[in-house]
Amino acid sequence: HPHSRPRHSGARTMLPLLLLLLATAHGLDKLPTLEAPVLASSSLGGQTTASTFVLEQPRCVFKNVQEDTVIWLVVADPRAVPNFTNSVEPGGPGREFQQFLNSSLAYMTLNTTILNYPCPKNPGDITVLRVGSETGCATDKARPTCNGPLPGPGPYQVKFLALNGSKPVAQTAWSKPITLRTAQPSGSIPVPGSGHSAGMIALTSILSILFAILLAGLVAMLIWGSDASSGSSTFSKPEAVTVRRYNTHHVYDQPAARL
Amino acid sequence: MARSDDAIRILQGLLVFGNVVIGMCGIALTAECIFFVSNPHGLYPLLEATGNDDIYAAAWIGIFVGFALLALSILGIVAVIKSNRTLLLVYIILMLITYAFEMASCITAATQRDFLTPNLFLKQMLERYNKSEAVNNNDKRMTEGVTKTWDKLMLQNQCCGVQGPTDWQEYTSVFRTTHSDADYPWPRNCCVMNAQGSPINLDGCKLGVPGYYNSNGCYDAISGPMNTHAWGVAWFGFAILCWTFFVLLGTMFYWSRVEY
Repeated sequence: HPHSRPRHSGARTMLPLLLLLLATAHGLDKLPTLEAPVLASSSLGGQTTASTFVLEQPRCVFKNVQEDTVIWLVVADPRAVPNFTNSVEPGGPGREFQQFLNSSLAYMTLNTTILNYPCPKNPGDITVLRVGSETGCATDKARPTCNGPLPGPGPYQVKFLALNGSKPVAQTAWSKPITLRTAQPSGSIPVPGSGHSAGMIALTSILSILFAILLAGLVAMLIWGSDASSGSSTFSKPEAVTVRRYNTHHVYDQPAARL
Repeated sequence: MARSDDAIRILQGLLVFGNVVIGMCGIALTAECIFFVSNPHGLYPLLEATGNDDIYAAAWIGIFVGFALLALSILGIVAVIKSNRTLLLVYIILMLITYAFEMASCITAATQRDFLTPNLFLKQMLERYNKSEAVNNNDKRMTEGVTKTWDKLMLQNQCCGVQGPTDWQEYTSVFRTTHSDADYPWPRNCCVMNAQGSPINLDGCKLGVPGYYNSNGCYDAISGPMNTHAWGVAWFGFAILCWTFFVLLGTMFYWSRVEY
């Protein structure tokens, strides 16, 4: 009789049940799920702005794919993430950038061949993707895969999808939610009323006191100084005093006295 | 009364010396204030747009006070040597008037300097830089002045915004209404330029790659010259006034001892 391990009767139904569970867990895609995209380093000043954000390129993520595979970036509202299907073609109905957040809750953009993401990357190279940089096609309905500026602060979730023709062959996991910056109104900047520094207060008070002393001195000088000319401590003006030599004229007087 | 005469001679000598110093300080004050009024750093349009350019008024007063101090010091020297009561009285009264003006200048410069905070310039930059519609001619002139000054500042000092390029991201601005965030996260002059005046790497600048855009703020470049201006007028004037205080007291005492 054939060598076979004795099976429990219930095991026959367990295996199909397990397969069914696995299939529903992966959303019927059965694609390998690679590591999720990440935002670029925060040393970049423009890592997130009000309508763009910067991702690291998926270098060395998609291994074992053919050379003519095209890598797409999927940008989605978090509401679209649970029911997302990879089978809708890029730019197709429900995937137009121009209708993002209206009738499309996701769109696909930044398509490029796998050859543009060589592995390993040169150390020191900045390998990033700027999402939202194409402003020219933002309202052009003929370009549903436009990499246009995002319509609001989000949050958004992204993933990379590898398509061979129109068949998905690999995907990454969804990224963590990315929230963009919101600008505060410039009118809300507080411009405090005059706060006086210590230096200014010292300067004002000292100068005021000195000026007050001078005015008091002027008044005192005018009231009491005017009669100081009769005091004993005044001094004479150094006028040009000429001492006139008085001739005593003794010689002329004597003859008058003898007469 | 030889001893008293000696004392008076010493007082005369001191007063002449005091007046010589006042004269020289007057020349220095005039020169300093002319330098500030000539707007060497080109920051006057920013001040004018705040509506509070009183440190310039203080510098203008300083120019005339400096001249007055020079003239009055010469009058003082002549009056002390001649011991003429009338001349001395004229000197004292005119000096007190000049003293009052210089006091106003010092206090104005010190007070207005406290008013110029980073937030004031930030708000002004966001509300005026590259503003396209103007309310009236005056507004248009001030807006153009602010825009040109900021462009020149950012280019010459390799800086961006008041505290940094994030100023343009954190707050709404008039600039943002005409330049989209995706094309211009910050103004073009925040990019590092080559010798011809174009950005060396426009994409690098938009991404915010260090080395391709100016990541530091311009506040130091603004507050440095303004501090020098305000403190130069205020504290040098304060020093002159302290010295003048003693010379005037001495002159008042001398006047009261001169007989007609």
